[in-house]
Amino acid sequence: MSDATAHDSHDHGHGGALPGTIGHVTSVGTLVKVFLTLVCLTLATIAVARMDFGRLNVVGALVIASIKGSIVALWFMHLRYDKRFNFFILFGSIIFLVWMVSYILFDTKMYQHDMETYRHGKTIDGKPKPE
Amino acid sequence: MHFDTLHNQFQSGKLGMWLFLGQEVLFFAALFTAYSVYRGNHTDMFHYGQYFLDWRMGGANTIVLLFSSMTAAWSVRCAQLEQRKGLLITIAITWACAATFMIIKYFEYSHKIHIGAIWGEHFHIHSFDELPLPLQEKLSHIPVPEGKTQIEAVNDYLGKGGLGLGTFFAVYFCMTGLHGIHVLVGMGLYIWLFVRAWRGRYNRKYYSSVDNIALYWHIVDLIWIFLFPLLYLIG
Repeated sequence: MSDATAHDSHDHGHGGALPGTIGHVTSVGTLVKVFLTLVCLTLATIAVARMDFGRLNVVGALVIASIKGSIVALWFMHLRYDKRFNFFILFGSIIFLVWMVSYILFDTKMYQHDMETYRHGKTIDGKPKPE
Repeated sequence: MHFDTLHNQFQSGKLGMWLFLGQEVLFFAALFTAYSVYRGNHTDMFHYGQYFLDWRMGGANTIVLLFSSMTAAWSVRCAQLEQRKGLLITIAITWACAATFMIIKYFEYSHKIHIGAIWGEHFHIHSFDELPLPLQEKLSHIPVPEGKTQIEAVNDYLGKGGLGLGTFFAVYFCMTGLHGIHVLVGMGLYIWLFVRAWRGRYNRKYYSSVDNIALYWHIVDLIWIFLFPLLYLIG
């Protein structure tokens, strides 16, 4: 990214934009560079997944996916040049998503052991399950 | 005119679109939660389920969607610069990529349905030879109880009462199916956009629908960016 694009926030485009153009105009170079970066990251995520890091594979895949997602949001979706409020709508939704997944995962993990115990014919305190 | 300036009007429309996109993320959040809970509690189910998915097809679809995202962003640029021909071409390419995505998806779905790798209690593999090769190797020495065939033993092992792959495929078809419906909606929107662009409706001060549909298309891409590794890669 050149500085010429970074200062632009709303009304005026750059790089040959017509006078009075609404919104930020992204240059072709930026679009192509962003696309190529995303392709490289896709290949990276495939390469990483084919190696066995055990549980870290999930972390690796999610980290790369998050980087890719951020690039799409910031450049393709123009959030880098857009009103901050739009950024916080997306960011807020993602926070809620993470919060919901974490809490429910936390909850299910907490009681899964008891459920398995019960399923195998015992109550939580180890006594045989009543018929 | 209902707004003080065109800029105001543009930003208001965009705000509405972003609220919708925020809702889309929350909409998919429910499915990501279902995925996490099943995966968290049944690691084996996902390990075995992944043998049925072809990462090359998923990977190809990822590249196709990324490319279409670029052309979608490019179409916004064309609208802003009043390049009518460029606008029509980028819209057409975006649509063609969406169609390619759905064709690849069709091959994936029809193969799974053909071999019986489907949701819930309907999961029932028809014959051993149709199992994915690595799974054939893995299950070739499965103990076969008296009075049962090999494929019955395999289905007992993989299906209901065993690893429960029917649940894996319920998650798979729900997530990719809902995403696929979004792609189809996107294709419809791009046809509408193409017709309007053909009629020369857009200029540098009025191109909200090009911008907002591109935003929608990017969120469809963004969701796939997460679906691909979660379903196809990390077993």
